[in-house]
Amino acid sequence: MRAIRSALGRASLLPALAMLAVVVALNAWLQPHFFGRPSLESNIATFAPTILVCVAQAVVVLNRQLDLSVGAGVSLINCALAALPADLPGGGWSACVIGLALALALGAVNGALVAFLELPSLIATFATGAVWFGLALALMPQPGGAIAPGLGDLYGADWIGLPVPLLIVAAAMAVWVALGRHRIGRWIVAVGSSPGAAYQAGVPVRWATFGAYLTAWVLVFLSALTISAQTLSGDARLGQTYTLTSVAAVVIGGVSLGGGRGSPWGALLGALVLGIIANVIYFAGIPSIWQEFFKGLVIMAALGFMVSGQRRRVAA
Amino acid sequence: MTGSRRLLLLIGLTVALLLAGQVLLPGFLGPGQIANQLKIAAFLGLFGLCQTIVMAAGGQGLDLSVGATATLGGILGAALLPDVGNVFAGVAALAAGLLVGLVNGFGIAVLGVPPLVATLAVASVLDGALIVGVSVLHPGNAASAALVAIAGRGSFGVPNIVLVWAALGGVALWLLLRSAWGRRLCATGSNATTALLSGVDTTAVRAGAYALSGGLAALTGFLLTGYVGQAFLGLGNAYILTSIVAAAIGGVALAGGSAPYLGVVCAAIMMTVLVSVLTAIEVGESGRQIVFGLILLGFLVLDRRFARSAG
Repeated sequence: MRAIRSALGRASLLPALAMLAVVVALNAWLQPHFFGRPSLESNIATFAPTILVCVAQAVVVLNRQLDLSVGAGVSLINCALAALPADLPGGGWSACVIGLALALALGAVNGALVAFLELPSLIATFATGAVWFGLALALMPQPGGAIAPGLGDLYGADWIGLPVPLLIVAAAMAVWVALGRHRIGRWIVAVGSSPGAAYQAGVPVRWATFGAYLTAWVLVFLSALTISAQTLSGDARLGQTYTLTSVAAVVIGGVSLGGGRGSPWGALLGALVLGIIANVIYFAGIPSIWQEFFKGLVIMAALGFMVSGQRRRVAA
Repeated sequence: MTGSRRLLLLIGLTVALLLAGQVLLPGFLGPGQIANQLKIAAFLGLFGLCQTIVMAAGGQGLDLSVGATATLGGILGAALLPDVGNVFAGVAALAAGLLVGLVNGFGIAVLGVPPLVATLAVASVLDGALIVGVSVLHPGNAASAALVAIAGRGSFGVPNIVLVWAALGGVALWLLLRSAWGRRLCATGSNATTALLSGVDTTAVRAGAYALSGGLAALTGFLLTGYVGQAFLGLGNAYILTSIVAAAIGGVALAGGSAPYLGVVCAAIMMTVLVSVLTAIEVGESGRQIVFGLILLGFLVLDRRFARSAG
């Protein structure tokens, strides 16, 4: 039974894997030394924040909810990190603790609004997103401030021979794998698949949804941390594009917006596809005025490819 | 919350905001100010109508391409103005919008793409195409005198755009609540299977809803060009999410099946007054965002309370 289920899970990743293979091949063809270590390291460092926020969205979408405030959340955490005093005792580590605590608080607010007050997640998280953006602007009316320099050095470093950004992404995925072995992870997906049936089976539906938001916001924190380690300053508009990118990546990765189907691994692949598409468009030397148009076309094709694939599987 | 209760709440909130504005800033309630507010609300109300129609069609309906479509309407209309005149420029904008809406409708109703995804994808392609078009062709972008008069000036103290809104809104109310098409739309939205079995061509109804939304968004974008004086890239972007919020506050269920446009009209006015009160008392951008989000949340909670006590 488990073998069948995991095989099916892998099958839903196939279209995203195929797309990834195509864009990687294109990128490698256009960019010499794409597979060289410097290029791979700089790519993973660039993609890590997007991957993390897309995986966060996937956790919420698996629960049949949405979070339209993740982008503003990344901005707010980034601004908070940048607004911390430079002589903070503990330096980068205490900055991390404060950032994580803030992220958990934001996730708890979203989770409580959706799980316990039963507000529609689309509009409720749009509203909290406005609040997070407002708070970020209040902290940082103009881009500025400084991130603890230790974080930037750490982000560019290697640990046991592997680049730190890669390890952070691996740790985030390990969190999801660990949850999946525990009942909490299964509850999150079960509720997304059918809230009624999950309730009948004795799943604490509200807590599962609350837990999905908390889990997601741990990943949102990691996303904010990794982007902050690169920009080294605060900007209230930093994460603006992340929200819709994360929704697109989730769909490209084969996670159904209807909940319950797909996996965060798909969102990881989706985020990679979107990131590498941008690379390909850049290295192909397409004139800048055409870049947005081509990006739009490719995204539309990818989304159409995914959705039509999902329909075939449902029909079969 | 029942429709009339919601209307009362929205109107009460609007009056309270207006009075608060008058107390904080004498002159806030002057006739010129009220006319100005209605003018701004008209655009939000028209974009809100786009969302009302597609949300009523159900299937998690919403249209994230209204911003790009409005920009298309504005840029195309302004480019054609000098050569073909006001009426044909408006018709061209409307037709282009209908076409974009049909693409959305085809993806959603025929191919079964979720509306959020389909309209987002169409919007990103359209935004990209507009960048190319504007950069390559350098079209004229100025609004004509007539367009400025329609969108920005008034007759007998009433802004013309408010009259346009009233006319279009009246037609929309009849279409959504009284016509056979409106009943088919809401039947499709509340239960597509039942509607299909009762002989409604649900695919055509859904596709039509998105086409209508696109046409209306482009026409409103064309009128918006008259209000701001010229067309530019990103003209309609501010309305993408605010129009959804106006529809949701106005009582359009995200689940589909109802189209209470009168509520959306009140919501558009309330939101406009809220923003202008916050601007008038010189709350900065950050405070405006926070208060806007909190009021929206408060309204959602109230809505939930009333729905529960009514159910």
